[in-house]
This record gives sequence, structure tokens and C-alpha cells, in this order.
Amino acid sequence: MKRSGFWFVAPFLVLYVAFLVVPMLVGLGASVTDQGITGHAKFVGGANYLELFRDPAVWSSLWHTLIFTVTSTPAIVLVGLGMALLANRAVPERWLYRLAFFAPYLLPVSVVVLIWNWLYQPGFGLINDLLTRLGLGEVGWLSTDGMAMTSIVITTVWWTAGFGFLLYLAALQEIPRQLYEASALDGATPLQQLRRITMPLLSRTHQLVIVLQILASLKVFDQIYLLSGQGGIPGVRSIVQYIYESGFTRFRVGYASAISYVFFALIAVIALVHFRLTAEKR
Amino acid sequence: MDRRTFILAGTALATAACSGPAGLAYWDLFSGGDGSRMMDMVGAIGTRLDAVTLAWGTPYYTKLAMAAAGGRAPDLAILHLSRLPGFAPMGLLDPFDDDLLAAHGLTQDRFPPAVWNRARSDGRTYAVPLDTHPLVLFYNTELCGKAGLLENGRLRPIRGPEQLLAAFDKAGLALAAARDVNPWRLFWTLYRQQNGQGLLDDAKALTALRLLGKIGATTRFTDNNAAVALFGSGQAGFFWNGEWELPTFQTQHTPFDVAPFPQVYDRPAVHADSHAFVLPHQRSRDPQLTAQTISAVAELIGQSLTWARGGHIPAYQPVAASQAYLKLLPQANYRSAAAEVELDPPVWFAGAASDLQSAAGATIGAVLGGTKSPEVALGELKATLVRLRNTPKPA
Amino acid sequence: MRALAAVLAVIWLVPLAWTLDTALKPESETTRIPVSWFVPGMSLDAFGRVFGDGEVLAWLGNSLLVGVAVTVLTVAVTSLAAFGLSRTRFRGRSFVLALLVAGVVVPPQVLIVPLFAEMVGLGIADTYWALVLPQVVLPAMVYVLKKFFDGVPRELEEAAVIDGAGRLRVYWSLMLPLARPALAAVAIFTFVTTWNNFLWPFVAVSDPHLMTFPVGLATVQSSYGVRYAQVLAAALLGGLPLVALFLAFQRQLVTAIKG
Repeated sequence: MKRSGFWFVAPFLVLYVAFLVVPMLVGLGASVTDQGITGHAKFVGGANYLELFRDPAVWSSLWHTLIFTVTSTPAIVLVGLGMALLANRAVPERWLYRLAFFAPYLLPVSVVVLIWNWLYQPGFGLINDLLTRLGLGEVGWLSTDGMAMTSIVITTVWWTAGFGFLLYLAALQEIPRQLYEASALDGATPLQQLRRITMPLLSRTHQLVIVLQILASLKVFDQIYLLSGQGGIPGVRSIVQYIYESGFTRFRVGYASAISYVFFALIAVIALVHFRLTAEKR
Repeated sequence: MDRRTFILAGTALATAACSGPAGLAYWDLFSGGDGSRMMDMVGAIGTRLDAVTLAWGTPYYTKLAMAAAGGRAPDLAILHLSRLPGFAPMGLLDPFDDDLLAAHGLTQDRFPPAVWNRARSDGRTYAVPLDTHPLVLFYNTELCGKAGLLENGRLRPIRGPEQLLAAFDKAGLALAAARDVNPWRLFWTLYRQQNGQGLLDDAKALTALRLLGKIGATTRFTDNNAAVALFGSGQAGFFWNGEWELPTFQTQHTPFDVAPFPQVYDRPAVHADSHAFVLPHQRSRDPQLTAQTISAVAELIGQSLTWARGGHIPAYQPVAASQAYLKLLPQANYRSAAAEVELDPPVWFAGAASDLQSAAGATIGAVLGGTKSPEVALGELKATLVRLRNTPKPA
Repeated sequence: MRALAAVLAVIWLVPLAWTLDTALKPESETTRIPVSWFVPGMSLDAFGRVFGDGEVLAWLGNSLLVGVAVTVLTVAVTSLAAFGLSRTRFRGRSFVLALLVAGVVVPPQVLIVPLFAEMVGLGIADTYWALVLPQVVLPAMVYVLKKFFDGVPRELEEAAVIDGAGRLRVYWSLMLPLARPALAAVAIFTFVTTWNNFLWPFVAVSDPHLMTFPVGLATVQSSYGVRYAQVLAAALLGGLPLVALFLAFQRQLVTAIKG
């Protein structure tokens, strides 16, 4: 009887060990070798780690990742919050808002990228067409590093704001109606209600959305890789993309593993700091 | 979840994992005109091929390497010969059996030495070249005629940097150089025309860069689509790119002809590459399927004339020397280039869509665009080469 | 406020509407300048060609297969584990709990390269196994279900045990039915995540016949040049299932994603 409990956990544990613990160890092992994509390897000690700290591409891709995170996170949080405030009102077309704001989040990334690539086209792209009609010049949305990053952020906001929207909407619906009714009797304007009731009660949701968004943004790969033409614009390359390219395009599995480990350490530190901060507050 | 769904899903998984495609699996990276001509060739041969096209360049080579590393690669694939030094020594390709190749008439003497040598690695044959595709000089016959650059309707041979600059000055050059590998191709051509050796002879590299800077200053420097549009619509007398743009101008009815890349320095040389058939590594290669694959290669090579319509020079000499090809114009007008081709240096980090081409391309592109001096660019180019050479080669 | 909401909703819907519009146009009209929303000859042809081609349907089939397999395995394995951790005590239990917490911190993105190397080593790179198995490891799901099981009153279980039911029976006949809403949430979340997952499936398989829809759409090109209407029709077809699922199961989906 004492052992039976373990058998319930065993199937999960087997998969957990096989596809999480083992690759962690495989990666650690590989990171101190010159392992190539076909698996041959020779021990090189800390050479990969030394190399990555001197590799400008590591720093630049970390930088792009950071830029992406600090520009997309506030936009996504604010848009998501705005959507939730707008859609939480008791109007008959509420379902339409939910669909409009949330549907993009359900699309696979390659669909999102195809749609936006199409919108960003020079000449016949819808956005440039609109700009031309308004008498403004065309914008080369994906032709320079700076514009490409902006376009990637716009696309990301459209795609993922629905996630924050959903969390905020749920939080808003949990706020008791009576609070608003009581304050309305006291003569509070809607703006005052927003400041004094809604916002304070959303503070935990803010924290949740922001933290989830930051962690997700640091791990960004899909939309940057695909929207930049599968790596065609190195000036927007994210760190995960550099890991992918080091391992699979340059066949350097050992080096890619070393970068993975340093990146993992970075994420773990951020998660720990966040954990500490929230633990102290409680 | 009820048990039935679970078992059903399990069975579906098992059966799906076993069922494979019908014909021999074949990957290429050809889209557009090349893509449809390749499909015609695949459709015309007896062996059934299950062809898939992946995105050109880095994405293609990444997937091909991953498939080969996994051991379940397609039976046949296209590879740029310039990429062979990065693929064959790592075990990502399986060698051809020379006897089997010979049985299908695919022997050394039937291919230009410049490409056949590059199809071999460590004494074994890893590739069967389909074509060579060099840079060429497209010229607008009307504009160049008006500029007095023609002789009997053909471009008068251009010799030396002064003549080249003068010609471009008179008739106008459309050049694709932004975010492209073209700058590297032009540079390598001019460098090898001076018989520049290895990576890198400073003086010769600087000469090439200075000329490119001058060309850039007098040129409508632009991205590829725009350059194609400029030449295609008769707004530029010259267009410098690979012969693969030929069908575009044919469909646009541009009055044009094609000449080999001009000899600017000591010897004729032109950057080129070669599409070749390779056997990506498979964990357990079925000899019977491999034999079928080789006969498919021979059949496809036999269709080289179809391929040549896209501008490429057939590598297979029985086709390249045939009357049908010699009558194919303007393709046959630059066939001599096949003897002068210079592929990328045979190092693992070079080749089509490689780090070398994109990194060096960005630097040289800046010289063409006039935003970087040749001297600064040389320093950067050397730094790039040092970085690439110091990158440990993966095991 | 209402007007603002409407404007925002329209902005959010325009990209989708424009995509649909392009997919309905004849190929020759798709790149016309200036842009026009309505052109003569609009039809469902592009969608028909996508169906006729079969490639996109095969990818959708793979997505469904992988999504169902991952979901079924995840629900089975995580609910068993959650039950074991919630209702039994065994040696190493606290270690397993610690492992779970640690596992939540590991971003799957840092595992792609070593995991691919492992697939190669196991000889299952480029198979459905490589697509499915690594996606089953979702420690957070065990956590969610464990919390749910923790909240189920002990008395219910004790009554069943007195009736002579073994632990497996308690799990199967008592806990699972009780946990239906939580299981549904886990299942829906897992399915949506798997269906839309890009990076791992992109790494795990190179064979176009095994690709899931998001990977195939991004990787395989048409040999005949870009056909915009057709590509966008394919994109819409592949994007549709989850949006339809959302309309059908709006409430459950919202709970699932919140969880």
C-alpha cells in the first residue's frame, strides 16, 4: 500500500525525466564539448562559455530581446486593459468585442505572420495603400531593422493583447457591482470610480499580466523569426533565435547548449527576483 | 477521457507513423520559374518522385541538415556545391557509388572540371552537378545601341575597369545590392580576376572594393526587385546579376541580350555556384532505393535542356554541347562562362546563404551604397573573416 | 465609450477581413494597386484549390492527431500524478513536488537543442513520437489538478474505501468524474497550446508529411510561385478550427486559459 502512491506518479515522472531532466543533462554535457549536429563531440572545457561572452551576436540578440520586451509589454498590457474596460460594459454587442479582441490570440503564429506580411507589403499592402491615399508616403515596414522591430511589436500586440484582455475581463467581472452602485450614490463620476475602485482592485491582475508577458517576451522566437523572413533580418534576431541558429544552422550543438544554459540562468534569476518580491509583499 | 478514444488515438499514431509517401522523397529550393521547370522535369521522368519545395537559402539548409542529422532525410535533395564543404565532412551526406554513377553515364569526363572537383570530398563523390549558374551581364540592346556600345548587334567586349565604368556611365546600370548576397558575388569575381588567393590578399581586395565603390557612385543602387524593374522597363542599360533572372526579362519583352561577366582584370573569372543532386544522410539506406534514386538523377540530368530555359548552363556536357542547347538563345551566348567559374572558397562557413555571404555582403553592400569607404570595409571584411575562421568548426 | 469600443473592434477585425477578402479574389487581382475590396470574379476557388491540393489538409490532420494524442496523454498522466500526490504519501513525494516546481521554471525554449540531440540519439527524430512525447511534460498541469483534488473532501473517498474500492478505483470512479471541469480546463488548455505550438514541432520534424499545420504553412513553398489568394485561404482554413471552438465553448475556454 505504501508503494502504490508512487505508481500513480510514475508515468508522469518517466516522461518528466525523459524529456525534461535528461535534455537538461544532455545540454549541460554538450555545452562543454564541440558537439555538432550529427552528435560527434570532443571535450572543450569552458571554451563555449568563454566564447559566448565575447560573441557580439549573443549581446545583440539579448539586446533585441530586451527591446522587444520593454516595447511590447506595456503596449499589450494597456491595450488588453483598455479592451477589457470597453468590453465589460453591458451592451448587446458585447459578444462581438470578445470575439474581435480574443480571436487573434487563437490563431497559430504562422497564420498571424502571413496576414501581417500581407498587410505590410509595399505597394499593394493594405497599410501602405491607406498611407498613400492619405497623402502620406509608403513605409518600408520590414525593410530596415528599426521598422522591422516596430512592425513585429505591432503584430505581436494584435496577436496577443487578447490574452491580457481575457485576464482583465475576468478580474473586472469579479468586482462586486454594489461597490459601483454605492459610490454612484455618493456622487462619484465614472472616472473617479475607475481610479478609486477599479484600478486598485486590478492591482494583482496587473502584476500577473505584466509578469507573464515579460517572461513570454524574453522567450520570443516565432513571430520575430517568421516575420523577418526566417532569419533574414539579423538586426531583430532574438536570443532564442540565436540559440536555434547556432545549433541548427551552424550545426554547433555544443555552443547552442552553452547559450541555452546562460539564458536559462537569466530567466531563473528573473523568476526568483519576482518570487522574492511577491513573497515579501504578502 | 474514455479508454476508446485513447486506444483510437494510439492506433492512429502508430499507423500514421508507419505510412510513408509513395514516390522517392525529393527536396529542392526552387520557386517561381525554376520551380515550375523542375516540376516539369520531375513529371517527365519515369521514376516517381515525391517533390517538396522549401524556402530558399538558410531555412532550406537548416532543415536539410536537421533531416540528415535525424537520419530520416529525403532520398534525394538539391544542394549548392558551395555548401558541400559544410555538409559532406560532417556526415550529413551519403557518398554516391561511383560504379553506379558510371553505369548511368554520370562520369567525371562529362562534367566541367571546375564543378566536378567541388562535388568530391575526401576522395568520394557526394554530388552530381545539374548546372552552373554564374553572374552575367544583362544589357538592353536598344539603350546600349544608342550609347554606341554594340558591334554587329552584340555588346562590344569590355576590358579593364575604365571601359567598364565608361559603359555603365553611358547606358546606366541597375544593381541589386541591398540586403543581398550580390555584393559578395561581385567582390569575389573581381578578387579572383586578379588571381587573389585565400582569404584575404589585402591589396587585391582593396582594388576590388575601390572599383565597387566607383561603380556604386555612378549606379542606381537598389534592392533586387527594384533593380529588376528598372532594367525590365528599359530604364537602365545594364543589369548585373545571375543568369537566373533571364526568364523575367523574356516575359517582359525587354529588348535584351546577355554577355559573360566582363574581364576587368588579369584573368577571366566569375562567381558562380552549381545546383547539384545529393543523397542526404539516412541512417539505414536501402540499396534498392538508392539505385532507383541514382537512376532518377540520371533521368533528371537528361532533362537539362528544360532546366537551361531558366538561364542555367547545363553541367552535363552531352547536353551542353548539343545542337539544341547551342540554338537556345540568349542562353548559349554566355556558355563560355562555365569554364571560368569561381565558386565560394571551399571552407565550411562559406557557400550559398552562408554566414560568409551575408556578413561580407553587408559590408561590401555598404561600399556600393557609398556609406562605407573601401579602406574601412576592408578592415571590417578582415575582421569578419577572422571571426569566422576562429569559430570552432562543429564536430 | 461605445464608439471607441466599436472602432477598436473594427481595427482588430480588419486584418482578418482583408485576409478573407484577398482569399476570395482571383489571383490576378490580389496585387493590384490601388487596393480595392471588391473586384469582379470573387469566388471560393482558392479554398477549393487548397482542399484539392491535400497538403494543407494533411497538416491539419497531423495537428489534430498530435493535439489529441498530447491532450489525451497529458490528461491521463497528469491526473494520475496529481491524484497520487494529493491522496497518497510515499517516500520521495516531497522530492517529486520540488521537481514539479523546478520544472515550471524551465522554459521549453532552452531545451530545443539538447532535446533535438536526444531525439537523434533515440532514433525518433522526424517521427510522430518526437512531436508528441516532449509536449506531454506540463508540470503546471499536475499542479492545477493537485490543487483541485486537494479540495475534494476526504469523507467521500473514505466512504468509497469502506465499500472496498482500491485506490485506482477511487481515482477512476470517484475523483475523475468529480474533477470533470478541471480536467476539461486542462484538456482544452493543452489542446490549444499544442495546436498552436510552433517552435518544438518546427524542430522535431523536417519531413513535410509529418508537419503540423503551423509548421507546414511556414516551411513549405509552392513550386509555382506565390499564390497569395491560395496561401491566405490556407491560413484562414487552418486558423478557423480554434476560433470555431472558441465560439462553441467560450466559457470553458476562458476558464481554461485563465487557469
